[in-house]
Amino acid sequence: MTTPTSTAPEIDATSVTEAPEAVGRSPGQLMWLRFRRDRTGVISAAIVILFFLVAILAPVISLVYGKDPYTLYGQDRPGLLNDFGYAMAPNGGISSEFWFGIEPNLGRDVFMQLVYGIRTSLLIAVVATILTTLIGIVVGIIAGYAGGKTDFFIGRIIDLMLSFPQVLFIIAFTPVVDQLLVPSNEETPVWLRAVTLTILLTVFGWAGLARLLRGQVLSMREREFVEAAKVTGASPARIVFKELLPNLWTPILIQSTLLLPALVTAEAALSFLGVGMGEQVPDWGRMFLRATQVYQNDITYLIFPGVALLIFVIAFNLLGDSVRDAFDPKIKR
Amino acid sequence: MNHRKRSALAVAAAASLALVGACAPGNAGAPSSAPASAGASSAPAAEAYKPPTITLGTAEDSKGPAIPPEGVVKGGTVTMIDRDDFAHFDPAQIYVNTDANFGLLISRGLTGYKRIAKGDYKLVGDLATDAGTPSDGGKTWTFTLKDGVKWQDGSPITSADVKWSVERMFAPFVTFGPNYIQTWLTSEDYKKAYPGPYGGKELDNIETPDDKTVVFKFNSPHADANYAFAMAGYNIVPKAKDTKEKYDKEPVSSGPYIIKSHVVDKSLELARNPNWDAATDPIRGAYPDVWKMEFGQEATQVTDRFVADSGPDQTAFTFYSNTPAERLQQVLGDASLADRRMISPSPYGNYYYFNLDRVKDQKIRQAINYAWPAKQIQQALGGPQAVALPTTILNENTTVGYKPYDLFGKTAKPEGDIEKAKQLLAESSNPHPTIVYAYNNLPTQEPVTLVIKNALEKAGIKVVAKSLDRKTYYDSISQTKNEFDLYWGGWGADWPSGSTVMPIIFGPVSDGGQNMSHLNDPTVKAEMKKISENPDINAANEAWMNLDKQIQETITPLVVAENRIGTFLHGSKVGGAEIDPQQWIVSPNTIFVKQ
Repeated sequence: MTTPTSTAPEIDATSVTEAPEAVGRSPGQLMWLRFRRDRTGVISAAIVILFFLVAILAPVISLVYGKDPYTLYGQDRPGLLNDFGYAMAPNGGISSEFWFGIEPNLGRDVFMQLVYGIRTSLLIAVVATILTTLIGIVVGIIAGYAGGKTDFFIGRIIDLMLSFPQVLFIIAFTPVVDQLLVPSNEETPVWLRAVTLTILLTVFGWAGLARLLRGQVLSMREREFVEAAKVTGASPARIVFKELLPNLWTPILIQSTLLLPALVTAEAALSFLGVGMGEQVPDWGRMFLRATQVYQNDITYLIFPGVALLIFVIAFNLLGDSVRDAFDPKIKR
Repeated sequence: MNHRKRSALAVAAAASLALVGACAPGNAGAPSSAPASAGASSAPAAEAYKPPTITLGTAEDSKGPAIPPEGVVKGGTVTMIDRDDFAHFDPAQIYVNTDANFGLLISRGLTGYKRIAKGDYKLVGDLATDAGTPSDGGKTWTFTLKDGVKWQDGSPITSADVKWSVERMFAPFVTFGPNYIQTWLTSEDYKKAYPGPYGGKELDNIETPDDKTVVFKFNSPHADANYAFAMAGYNIVPKAKDTKEKYDKEPVSSGPYIIKSHVVDKSLELARNPNWDAATDPIRGAYPDVWKMEFGQEATQVTDRFVADSGPDQTAFTFYSNTPAERLQQVLGDASLADRRMISPSPYGNYYYFNLDRVKDQKIRQAINYAWPAKQIQQALGGPQAVALPTTILNENTTVGYKPYDLFGKTAKPEGDIEKAKQLLAESSNPHPTIVYAYNNLPTQEPVTLVIKNALEKAGIKVVAKSLDRKTYYDSISQTKNEFDLYWGGWGADWPSGSTVMPIIFGPVSDGGQNMSHLNDPTVKAEMKKISENPDINAANEAWMNLDKQIQETITPLVVAENRIGTFLHGSKVGGAEIDPQQWIVSPNTIFVKQ
């Protein structure tokens, strides 16, 4: 008999203090509030923002730091690399001048390679993510909303895309693109490679999101508010944009925040396999490739791109998780 | 897992990785064996590499047995580990060095190279009693076979077998072997001139007056025909046991061993040939009783196994698995490996050819030669221990009478003389030319390309680096109407003389041909013909060397490229392992197993 009496005032107290605050909050504000309370999410967001800032401000960093990612310091200046092409100073040549050391053999500055490498990775990944998301939204909603034959055909295309061996295809297809589009006596322009990679990553990336959204739309199509809109004579466009889409933002946001790190790793993996950006463009994947060959003599060179990619991908994934938690606190993992 | 815990773990993982990085040692300098003037000489391998001397042996030299290496022990089982199985056993189909090297174990030819001491070789008679007798100014060559040379079934090797072996090389199924002797006996298009012996037709200009004598009558003088016969492709095949195409799988042995078992791409085992007599063979030591070969081992694995040197790997060696660049510092820096290391620059000539149809101004070609970043390329490929910087067209390992010269100041300035290049460009037709540099899209070529581009651009030359697919690279650059200005190509001498290099890389211009610079100069052509037909082989060798310099001076059709240095390891219980400098492969002739 004692328990109810002891708890009653407490409940009262909380309801009194919270009552005025709980008035008039949009789902977005609620989400923001929940997100801010999630420490992991905030830290991850800070790291992600930092990476973006570094990418955007790369030329400024270069200016302040006094090095660029293209000069072959180790080759131009004797005494930095030994006869085998490895840095003479310990820890991969880390010094007050070269903060993260110098690249084996070619002798470029690792810090600058890393900073400019973020640009390459992020640029390709962000553009591919945006395109992927857009295509995924359009196709997914069309399939789900139209149903019938349209749904059937789109469904089969999605199946095909999901079952396609994409890495193999990209490896095989990139040289073909070069051969078709580049005159035989000209260099493959850097932008062409970037565009090819972006397009190929997009082409193979949209199917997952589209299938997810199709399912969501399918379950919502028969709900009362959609029926009501239909009865009042709303056009399909209105129903899609005003009734369905607002309810889909959560999965879209979560999916795209998880897609971005996946694409960064995919781009690095492709560079690792030799179909990424050329030698003249700083790139994390290629740094990895080189690092795995020389790690016995220069482990430091493996650490920097490794740790950078690790931090970036984990931060972005945790951010994605936090966003999901903030949107949908009911899901307990 | 709770996500907070997960992030903590991630941070811990990152931190531990960073810790590992914090104690990585420096790579101060090269090992002490490296020369002080690294990169300066043409062969800056450890302990100043000396190219081999190859001379002509006498009948006395041609008598067996072979000169044994120091501390030789007979018997035991030796293991050979390598990446690839041998593609061919039929001598007529053998051109590749690994196949030729294996051929030493199971087949013999008229002549061969006898090892006198380290780096000292003599061309001697193998089946023949001496290295052949020329007459008629080098047009006729006579060989006499030794007594007591037998096939694996005990039947004697006769001059008819020798004649047959050469004749069958005209047959349509023979597509891979060398073609020197065939063209000398008939004409350039030798397969049309004679269809091979299987239809019953003989080749009249090979005569066999008796069972022991064979006479070759060439259309023009060839003072170096005895060197040509030393190629594994001219090893002999028994007339009575010739199975045409099938012979490639089931060869009959005339050498010290017989193939006991062979699982393609996996393993091979050799046992002794009882009918091989060491007293007739000046070349092959054949010390181990059993040979076991293992294939499918990548170079990195092979290197790691030899470094570890555990158990059965102690009695193992490799024909051709070169230490990869990323293991070099480890292998060369380890003093305990000193007596198990073998080092030799490759015998191949490697060139960056100018396309003379497009880069017409010699001043520009010279300027590029001056600006060439030889040292930087060397560093990008693993340093002076991995790559030598030759300055001549002919390779020191495969040129009798080799004389170095340095036209473009590479000894003084291996990193390139930008000022001199700029000065030459200013005098040229175009002070700011654009050069289309085509390169093979291999991982190792990307950094090299970057280095070349970087250096030439410093001299004011715009470089368009054109990446070519690795499968079609050679097809693309050997098209005569290609749209590139500069590209890499290589060629190896077939015997130590300019006559197997110069007339080929500056020979007929054709699609798919080897003349990639499209050099078509009447004086050079006349000179090459004159030297080829010179009956005095020493004078010819000297003339090749002079022509080498003359071509670079007056035409400059190429930039001499870097030359790879092979570093091979072997197990601690293997003795007599030495790199054959001509074939760039560990010779089986001196191998023995220490007890």
